[in-house]
Amino acid sequence: MSVVEFRKVTKTFGPVVVLREVDLSIDAGEVVVLIGPSGSGKSTLLRCINALEEINGGDLIVDNISVLSGRRQIRIIRQEAGMVFQQFNLFPQMTAVDNVAFGPRRVRGLSKRESLEQARELLAKVGLSDRGHHYPAELSGGQQQRVAIARALAVKPKLMLFDEPTSALDPELRHEVLRVMQALAEDGMTMIVVTHEMTFARQVGTRLIFMEDGKISVDGDPTTLLKNTENPRLRDFLQHVH
Amino acid sequence: MKLRNLLIAAFATTIAFAQPSRAEDLIVATDTAFVPFEFKEGDKYVGFDIDMWDAIAKEIGVTYTLQPMDFNGIIPALQTKQVDVALAGITIKDERKKVIDFSDGYYDSGFLLMVPTDSDIKSAENLKGKVLAVKTGTSATDYAKEHFKDTELRQFPNIDNAYLELQTGRVAAAMHDTPNVLYYVAKAGGGKVKAVGEQMMAHQYGIGFPKGSELVAKVNTALANMKKDGRYNDIYKKWFGTEPQS
Amino acid sequence: MEFDWSVIEDALPALLGGARLTILITLIGLAGGLVVGFVAGLMRAYGNVVMNLIAFTYVELIRGTPIVVQVMFIYFALPVLADIRVNPLTAAYVAIVVNAGAYIAEIVRGSFLSVHKGLKEAGLALGLPTWKVLVYIIGPVAFRRMIPPLGNQFIVSLKDTSLFIVIGVGELTRQGQEIMAANFRAVEIWSAVAILYLLMTGTLTLILRVTEKRMRML
Repeated sequence: MSVVEFRKVTKTFGPVVVLREVDLSIDAGEVVVLIGPSGSGKSTLLRCINALEEINGGDLIVDNISVLSGRRQIRIIRQEAGMVFQQFNLFPQMTAVDNVAFGPRRVRGLSKRESLEQARELLAKVGLSDRGHHYPAELSGGQQQRVAIARALAVKPKLMLFDEPTSALDPELRHEVLRVMQALAEDGMTMIVVTHEMTFARQVGTRLIFMEDGKISVDGDPTTLLKNTENPRLRDFLQHVH
Repeated sequence: MKLRNLLIAAFATTIAFAQPSRAEDLIVATDTAFVPFEFKEGDKYVGFDIDMWDAIAKEIGVTYTLQPMDFNGIIPALQTKQVDVALAGITIKDERKKVIDFSDGYYDSGFLLMVPTDSDIKSAENLKGKVLAVKTGTSATDYAKEHFKDTELRQFPNIDNAYLELQTGRVAAAMHDTPNVLYYVAKAGGGKVKAVGEQMMAHQYGIGFPKGSELVAKVNTALANMKKDGRYNDIYKKWFGTEPQS
Repeated sequence: MEFDWSVIEDALPALLGGARLTILITLIGLAGGLVVGFVAGLMRAYGNVVMNLIAFTYVELIRGTPIVVQVMFIYFALPVLADIRVNPLTAAYVAIVVNAGAYIAEIVRGSFLSVHKGLKEAGLALGLPTWKVLVYIIGPVAFRRMIPPLGNQFIVSLKDTSLFIVIGVGELTRQGQEIMAANFRAVEIWSAVAILYLLMTGTLTLILRVTEKRMRML
């Protein structure tokens, strides 16, 4: 059964059409890697899933709830679909451990002690058990992004959305984030990842989607596609990112 | 805790705004910068007007609260019925009678010039081409505008500012109500200023009321009684050192 | 004229009484102004068209007129229009609340809107309702940014209380003026008044510095 289902989804920003009647179904356990030139609509597609962008046409079902069914339902969708942003977006007034504990406390209603306990476990899982009391400004980009992943996981989502999670990082810091993501995939988390990291796509991804001009033009097995694609524009795109 | 204090304060503001002033007390506006009629001594307002009003209030059986105000705010406050009575050595004038009511006159006054001791100004005639300091909105200012065409007027919100201007030598003379000028020369001038010339435009001070106030008649009766039985004379002597001439 | 210290000694009790009233008006006025300012500022930042227009009109009316005119309006014009009697102290409180409220509204709006959009999205993405995002995430960040401009407004409002001299509120400046009208000692009295104001604004500045230091700026 699919966790995310796009049914002829259209999204426009004013006169600009960003998604054109997109159909897409993603099953539990899949690790979908979304690629495409900038402006192709891949980030927007991701942000429609947790309703950070409102769709203009069609329907989008996440974990059996339509994004069109009202604010309360949208909040439930967002709890089921954790998100990691390109710019980390950690809460600057809170320490790392408070950032992670925030969601469970304010969304799930956990007690302060429970939420902090859980936050420490999650920080340990992303390899930051010794950084809990640091503020975001005191952490490196890679560390901040790992805290952000822990923060999203803390709400216990069924799927994770990654919006270019390594693009804002220096190359030598990327691997620490990618390693955490890989571990997450190996645990069986359903993931949708917008990225330019082709190594990650090949090694971790179970499905590769190439978007162009608001549409999905290639959808298939990453290993096959990356080795030898028939689509000339995907081949062209891959040459540029490599 | 801090937040709660803020809330309480905000609440207090609302209450203060919603609460009307106590009905039984008359609000009596008074200028506070006009020796020896009304001025501050320690933390109390004192002066001829204050004593006289207190005697009147006792006679007609009212209680009151003094409300110090700027002289220029007093007539508007009467017009808008913000206050019930005004004590400020207010000159009874026809223009003012159009907007407020007056009691009978209770003090004969006029204007006098004050100049530095070494000044060669001897009377109003010598003011041509000179600068004269006055208080805004007073009868003295109106008089000066009308009669001293060739004199530059410099207006101040309070007369002590005008006197200070004279002391610092930036104006040639100051003009104000006679008793105030004489008080300043005697008590605060330090021998550096003197009063010169004849008193100009004799006029009377009256107590001010909002148009149509029922108090006017009562106050006039009280005032007449006080003049008859000597209470007025006692107060006069206390503040001016002499008996009133009549 | 010689500087006569005994003049200040005699005037000090009355001046301190005036300073107390100045502080009281400032505190009550600013407490109310903060409430009004937060409401109006949030209406400007996040309200619908109608709320935005109401708050915008209020802010522009107040920022576009001098505070003396506002005081005169509250004290002289409002009673005629509404047929109520306003005592001067109440007029003073209301004037500071209304005036400071408008400036604080702009500070609040600016600070909230200056917070990076990503923080709001991060909060929403966790499944939080918008109001919780404002209270727990945007608010605390915005509040820290408000401290310097708020401090500035507090000092301005404290000094603005001296304008209530025109309606006879016995605050510090008025006390000074009244004492001077009786003893004609301008130099001594204005010096004392100025120093008292400096002590009050200085204390305020110090408190703000300490607050700023203790909170991490974000």
